[in-house]
Amino acid sequence: MTRVAPLAAAFVVTLAAVTGGAAIAGYVTADGAAPAPAIQNDHYQNPDLIANDTPGQATVEMDASAGSQTVLVDPGVEPATARPVLPFSLIGLGGGGVADRDIRPLANALIENGHEVGVYVPDPDQQRRPVRPGAEETTQLGERLAEADAFVTFRTDYEPDELDAIESFVESGGHVVLATEPDAAYSQPGAASLDATLDVTTESGYVYNMEENDLNYQRVYAEATGDASLTEGVDRAVFPSATPVGTPAGGADVLRPIEGSELSTTRAPTDAPLLVRNDEVVMIGDSDFLSPDNARRADNDALIGNLADFLVTNDRTPPGDGGSTGPTQPGPGQPPTNGTAG
Amino acid sequence: MSADKPSTALTSRQQVAVVVLAAALVGAVLAPSVYAATNEPSDTVAVVEIEGPVNTALADDVESELADIRANESVGAVVLKLDTPGGAPVASERMYKAVQRTSDDMTVIASVQSISASGGYYAMAPADEIYVLPTSTVGSIGLNAPAPRASSTALGPSGPDKAGSNPTQAWAEQQTLADTFINAMMAERSDEFEMPREEVAKADTYLGTEAVQNGFADEIGSLNEAIHAAATEEELGEYTVDTRETGQEFGIPFLVRTDTGIVAIHANDPGYADVKPMPSTYVYTPAVPHVDTIERFSETDVRTGGAASTERGTPGNETARLSGGVGA
Repeated sequence: MTRVAPLAAAFVVTLAAVTGGAAIAGYVTADGAAPAPAIQNDHYQNPDLIANDTPGQATVEMDASAGSQTVLVDPGVEPATARPVLPFSLIGLGGGGVADRDIRPLANALIENGHEVGVYVPDPDQQRRPVRPGAEETTQLGERLAEADAFVTFRTDYEPDELDAIESFVESGGHVVLATEPDAAYSQPGAASLDATLDVTTESGYVYNMEENDLNYQRVYAEATGDASLTEGVDRAVFPSATPVGTPAGGADVLRPIEGSELSTTRAPTDAPLLVRNDEVVMIGDSDFLSPDNARRADNDALIGNLADFLVTNDRTPPGDGGSTGPTQPGPGQPPTNGTAG
Repeated sequence: MSADKPSTALTSRQQVAVVVLAAALVGAVLAPSVYAATNEPSDTVAVVEIEGPVNTALADDVESELADIRANESVGAVVLKLDTPGGAPVASERMYKAVQRTSDDMTVIASVQSISASGGYYAMAPADEIYVLPTSTVGSIGLNAPAPRASSTALGPSGPDKAGSNPTQAWAEQQTLADTFINAMMAERSDEFEMPREEVAKADTYLGTEAVQNGFADEIGSLNEAIHAAATEEELGEYTVDTRETGQEFGIPFLVRTDTGIVAIHANDPGYADVKPMPSTYVYTPAVPHVDTIERFSETDVRTGGAASTERGTPGNETARLSGGVGA
């Protein structure tokens, strides 16, 4: 019995030798499972990957030496949709249209050079009045246009009598800037009527450029195609969402998208103009290019200055243009009747 | 005494020999399993599921499964079973890196089921081959984000960029986010793409039949064919398939489209804390349901349910609701 211990030891040693050998053999012949090293991805470390986010500078300057002119701006507030809701929504907050902030660079340039800027916001109550039979067929817009020398609009859905007012305004020498958007054809009826009134055309779809753009494929660059007052000092302008526009008149005052631009609806290359001039009318296929943020991009500031010059350099003399009536107040309310009135 | 000993008892030498023999026999029985435990043969194809919206939970699981697969010598090849419209950028990148590392170790084949777009495409791009079915959808290489807008001045933050920067900075960041994705895809598959970078960046999606023509995919084939191809590539001979599920059940958090952007909802009956906006996504938007669609179902539920107690109704109610919510 005293031999049990050595025998047990022999058993354990042998068993350990066999299984241990198997284990060692397994480890030796196994492939290493060490963690793989990190993979360098050069495409993440390319310095060109980081887009330049410098906002830029804008200096909007006017050259025109015309006397004080009145420029009426229609930011595109829609009375049809605004009528049932609170008047607060009429000031361009919410809904379509362009907020006051978005036209600041243009308005500032005009104001700094001694011109007057009025914002047209339709009064929902007065809007119904001209419909009454026998009443004087004067629209609110017509009344405001009668006092103005130039008209800037971001709207396309005018009533027929408003279109008449715009047409006679243009015929009397008033200058008009119409800034539209690619989706105007979708959201607003009547764009074709305004186009016909002003003798301009719009294509459906938007222009984009995958090769060279201002931080987004829809923010396209446009270049001047010739020497003209509207494009003076404008090598390149940025249009954040542009639709092609045209005019049968032709002319040199045009900006066309740079090479590589394509039209969304056809996916084909396009060089159709994004800005055209038809005598008294300038049609622009974009309405965001003159916002403060976009005025700092490329030469938009120069373009805005040129547009301001175009607006105030007109042949129109408003009928009742006797003296200064002071800046036109935005909003539907009547101006306070104290003292100076009359 | 000494005359009968040799006939009945073993000598000490013999006893040792018997014990050693017994130990050797036992050892011989144990040795194969010990050997196998330390040197498993590579005879398994792991199928890793990447399904539902790409989010942190999914990336966590995919990373951990692939790390486990890389460390497990019994796995000889990996097939990614994809069915996702994409989702969060960082989660997509994490899966991309995990697949890239795994693809360095062994054959990885991606097998697209109905869709692998945007962030899903990002994740599978480093695979050795992409298998699609004829009507699978792949592509959508780009960023989804709303147009940056100027906001009114925030008073209080410690710096001008603390509470949101200006629109130009936001545009630039979005462009960088998009280029990060597009550049990675060009690095992975520019040899396969039958189109220039500008065309890839249009973020179009393609059906499987077209994808194998334009380089967005490599082969038309089912999951089983992808598994077989992976096993063949690694010369596995006879192999077993080990399917590894990832992400949470029911695809939570799920993605919902609103008029202003995409939100991730982290609960079936969400409270405020369960809804998180996703300002920038690598997602194929048409594959994400609009919140109006979901609200329509909820309205039906409220109308037919009546009492509040039915909100947490039986599975039967669920079926009734989905089939139009009639009766109950």
